[in-house]
Amino acid sequence: MKKYDTPLLDELEKGPFPSFVKEIKKAAAKNEMANDELGQLEYSFKTNRGYWKHGGIVGVLGYGGGVIGRYSDLPDMFPEVKFFHTVRINQPSGWFYTTKALRELMDLCDTYGSGITNMHGSTGDLVFLGARTEDLEPLFAELTSRGWDLGGSGSALRTPSCCVGPARCEWANYDTLEACYQITQEFQDELHRPAFNYKYKIKFAGCAVDCVASIARADCSVIGTWKGPILIDQDAVRWHEKKGMDINREVVDMCPTQCISYDGKELKINNDECNRCMHCITRLHKALKPSGERGATICIGSKAPIVVGSLLSWVIVPFMKMEPPYTEFKELTRKMWDWWDENSHPRERIGEVIEMKGMRSFLEAIGVPPFPQQIKEPRKDPFFFFTEGDIERFKKREEEEKKTGKFIF
Amino acid sequence: MEKITAEKAKEIRRTDVGPPHYGQFLPPVIKKNYGRWKEHEILSPGVMVHTAESGDKIWSVRVATPRLIATDTVREVCDISDKYCGGYVRWTSRNNIEFLVSDEKNLEPIQKELKEKGYMIGGIGPRISNMVHTQGWVHCHGAATDASGLVKAVMDELADYFTTKELPNKLRLALACCVNMCGAVHCSDIAIVAVHTKVPPIDHAKLGKICEIPTVIASCPTKAISPDPATKSVKLKEERCMYCGNCFTVCPAIDIKDPYRDGIAIVVGGKVNSLRSNPKFSKLVIPYMSNEPPRWPKVVAAVKHIVDVYAKNARKHERVGEWADRIGWEKFFKLTGIEFTFQAIDDFTFMRDTLRTASTFKW
Amino acid sequence: MEKEELKEKIYAFVLAAKGKKKVKPRDIEKGVSAETGAGIDEIKQAMKEMIDVGKLMYSYTGGASSVEIPSEEYLREKGLIK
Repeated sequence: MKKYDTPLLDELEKGPFPSFVKEIKKAAAKNEMANDELGQLEYSFKTNRGYWKHGGIVGVLGYGGGVIGRYSDLPDMFPEVKFFHTVRINQPSGWFYTTKALRELMDLCDTYGSGITNMHGSTGDLVFLGARTEDLEPLFAELTSRGWDLGGSGSALRTPSCCVGPARCEWANYDTLEACYQITQEFQDELHRPAFNYKYKIKFAGCAVDCVASIARADCSVIGTWKGPILIDQDAVRWHEKKGMDINREVVDMCPTQCISYDGKELKINNDECNRCMHCITRLHKALKPSGERGATICIGSKAPIVVGSLLSWVIVPFMKMEPPYTEFKELTRKMWDWWDENSHPRERIGEVIEMKGMRSFLEAIGVPPFPQQIKEPRKDPFFFFTEGDIERFKKREEEEKKTGKFIF
Repeated sequence: MEKITAEKAKEIRRTDVGPPHYGQFLPPVIKKNYGRWKEHEILSPGVMVHTAESGDKIWSVRVATPRLIATDTVREVCDISDKYCGGYVRWTSRNNIEFLVSDEKNLEPIQKELKEKGYMIGGIGPRISNMVHTQGWVHCHGAATDASGLVKAVMDELADYFTTKELPNKLRLALACCVNMCGAVHCSDIAIVAVHTKVPPIDHAKLGKICEIPTVIASCPTKAISPDPATKSVKLKEERCMYCGNCFTVCPAIDIKDPYRDGIAIVVGGKVNSLRSNPKFSKLVIPYMSNEPPRWPKVVAAVKHIVDVYAKNARKHERVGEWADRIGWEKFFKLTGIEFTFQAIDDFTFMRDTLRTASTFKW
Repeated sequence: MEKEELKEKIYAFVLAAKGKKKVKPRDIEKGVSAETGAGIDEIKQAMKEMIDVGKLMYSYTGGASSVEIPSEEYLREKGLIK
């Protein structure tokens, strides 16, 4: 095996944080592909640019995603990475593993890949970094026969992901792991066979802390919430105070809706005014907990800046029960996809299309009425549309008012 | 392990099996107390304990990883999990590993062994957790910088904030190696974003052959690209181009990468949770620094500087963006001493939301 | 319509678009349905069967996924031609 001098990368073996260079070298010691990856990366560091090409038609028979074609721009210098495709493997909900399963996957990565992984890719998949074209089919057969499958790529449903949820968190308002699993299973066709105009991501967060950043990077953000009052354990409030917390300064004064008070003896919450931001619950984590009906707020549209600016997801359905078999969520998703497909061009995300076509068009198509919870404030400009039906409805109501003598606004 | 033959592959391959059910990967104490956790406590920067209604407990020991890890490292993680965690382990959404300890007597020994093996324990509570980042020169076609290298350099500098030191609140760092921003970079407390800064040259002969001209034209958000029948390629109106690289993504004959001009910008003040204030985007404060591998000293110093000013000035529980909003961005620039540039003023319709419309500001 | 005949229509549709326009599954479903009167689900199933045996293939160029006539290189790699 060729031995590369890597004086620049060697600098990144120093220091306290774990070193990816050590990792590549570990793999390179026994894998030709990893070795050439190391060589090419040093060359990138030397010349200040990347040398990968992407795209193409690699994949497994029948699927349109899961493998991303990657080729070296310098195949003569680094022949072992001439083909160095990314293989995305759909991770288990919450990224829980047994060591038995992991060892099996690592053996596959060594046999068919470069011995380098990403644990995990940004969307959540377990990634084998670097595989040759001819190894894709056998690797796929080995994976699927063991109960694993590829993740999404291209213009398709991307691999859904979720927070740790009820597996190890007291704040989960619905079962994020089960929802993620069942929705992924329901939409296998949409995940593996790209039929959309662009990518569509779904992320499941159990509460407003949003540990999977769903509000910022999922076309569909499913964020857990509740309807009942926050329950208070007054003894535990005092435990927090004894531990050094200044309850008034750190909790009461920081409540965005000013609905908490504390007189040194009793903490009170005016639940009618609470907007469930979770600040008090996360600070007084031993003392406070949500109660009552649980479910999720469904938000749509977030994406990174490419192309016309980043978006955060917008509230569409303020409250939905998220319980198996998730019929309401599945039906809503299908309706949204239909509208998106009818109204978009290639490479347009659903949020961008809502912006172009208008929220009304979207809400009417998916059968969701307007709620004040969907907005921060009503529009300020005087340019709004009326349909014939709108005017008819307003006129009809006024006729009623004339009969009853009572105004309805 | 030997490779299987093509025939064997055809015989055993299945499709649409989806991911395995997570249930088989949960430690027994989690299975037993699933959905019935009562409370948790952070015992140290890298250890927390969750207590169930039943009284059962589970300890999580968190360690950092560079995300890119060799199979042998995963095997080492497996060995440790077998020894102390009954063979169960999980990864977090920020590429940390959590060792799930069900038996308290394993808590000290596992930390001892992790430290001996060089693992960095921490990242829990009001600290800096692992950086979310992209592929960079390791594997991406469009990268304007390396990702893993810059992350390593930044995290080496800030390692104390992972392992011990506290901040007013948690601080989320992220890095994107181009403006595509794979990952939630655009809503981080401090994010490093690599930028292209130059109108890309076009290889006309190549473009006509390998790219679909209507797709290339449609890819441009500022309508800078138009067809050019003379060259059977496209024309680029230079003054309209803002170097997003979207055209390069759809057509490799337009080469956006430039070793001299590609550089680094810093955006700050984003968050994804709804605690206290709504989720926020990160905002541009430093538009350009040169790409200086292998350790990017200026970029690292800039991030460290912003962290230090935040740590000194923010109130307890304030995230970077909440602090900047409270004191005002003019004060942010004053306190940090960062030069305010034209690049930080919004363009197009975005400016309607971000320009100041009152005379109430700080000197 | 017989499934084999439908498959021929689908193939002809993709072939006609070759080099002119990238077509995605929904374009094919709509186009072939308008031409033949066959149902969307029926076309979808036929197309899936064609992709499964390498009669058609998915491509990812130009930053979006599409369905195309397989290249020789693809067929050789899948062991479908020598």
